[in-house]
Amino acid sequence: VGCDRSKNLVDICGEKHFQAFVCDALSVPIRSGSCDACISIAVIHHFSTAERRLATIQELARLLRPGGTALIYVWAMEQEYKNQKSKYLKEKNGSKNKDKEMNTGTAQRPLSDPGPDNSTQDSAWSDQLLKDLNDESSGAKPVADFRLPVHTNRTSFHSQDLLVPWHLKGGTKKKEESVDKMLVPGGSKELEELSPVFHRYYHVFCEGELEAVCRSLDCVRVQKSYYDQGNWCVILEKL
Amino acid sequence: MKLLTHNLLSSHVPGLRPGGGFPLRIEAAEVRVRPVPFNAAFVSRLVPRLRWEALREAAESLGRPSELPPEPLPDYEADEEFLRRLHHVLLEVEVLEGSLQCPDSGRRFPISRGVPNMLLSEDQ
Repeated sequence: VGCDRSKNLVDICGEKHFQAFVCDALSVPIRSGSCDACISIAVIHHFSTAERRLATIQELARLLRPGGTALIYVWAMEQEYKNQKSKYLKEKNGSKNKDKEMNTGTAQRPLSDPGPDNSTQDSAWSDQLLKDLNDESSGAKPVADFRLPVHTNRTSFHSQDLLVPWHLKGGTKKKEESVDKMLVPGGSKELEELSPVFHRYYHVFCEGELEAVCRSLDCVRVQKSYYDQGNWCVILEKL
Repeated sequence: MKLLTHNLLSSHVPGLRPGGGFPLRIEAAEVRVRPVPFNAAFVSRLVPRLRWEALREAAESLGRPSELPPEPLPDYEADEEFLRRLHHVLLEVEVLEGSLQCPDSGRRFPISRGVPNMLLSEDQ
């Protein structure tokens, strides 16, 4: 059985006759200790504080029966590792290879699809404020002037906390179209014709970070910890 | 939502008594029966994971005459007829429209197009 925070995505699972429900990863409505195995793929990196990220792993652990295992994949800060660029970086010059690679079914295929097909030219700093950080950090300094960088897709990450642009495809947009006009400031009449851009929050993980968070929990043991195509991964066992 | 899924779902409304919130009461507006290929080993391995009484109650609440015994039969692994009846109840009956109600708080979670929406509102 699967779950996600997005009702629309879960509805697609339902249309394909998979068992799925809508819920928040911080509060999963499944009875404790009922699962032999759980997977969390490209989820935890969307949570904006260390406390919330830890809480999602605790929730995952709660679902497992003793001896049960969990697999967690999160985006890595290091998109180039051991002199090998990840597929996310390699596909910088266009997505024409993407379909082919997705169909090969090889072990190299990334489990998390990092971001949209289209690259954007913007690497501007966003003025967007993260109210969450203010609300949630207890005892932390006020972050009223905190800004998150907006990532340039298919390039390496320069910050662990960032916004990644996602283009909702309108259907008529051609890949060859220049994307420079996408981010013209408000007021331009070209904006109305173009598909909307959403900024999605990511906290990308450094080497060892995911493992360290998991090790801070007494109820699980880290069985395996590895790097896979731009992702940091752990396999946990419930004690 | 199949009854296998229902057997795993539990209300996560905050402040419930320990062990509370299970099983969710099914209010079904539309139910569908769809054949699923039978896999004896799979069904057999599910038995220790199930809350048996909740499964029986759920099947009965959908108006299906309960084909299940009060307890899993001894040596059920080898009992194909038992496993086939269990397979039918767990995997071939789906609630497409309706709701799930928390037995302790009364909170309802809607099911639409076979998908339960278990999100709690901001203040819960």
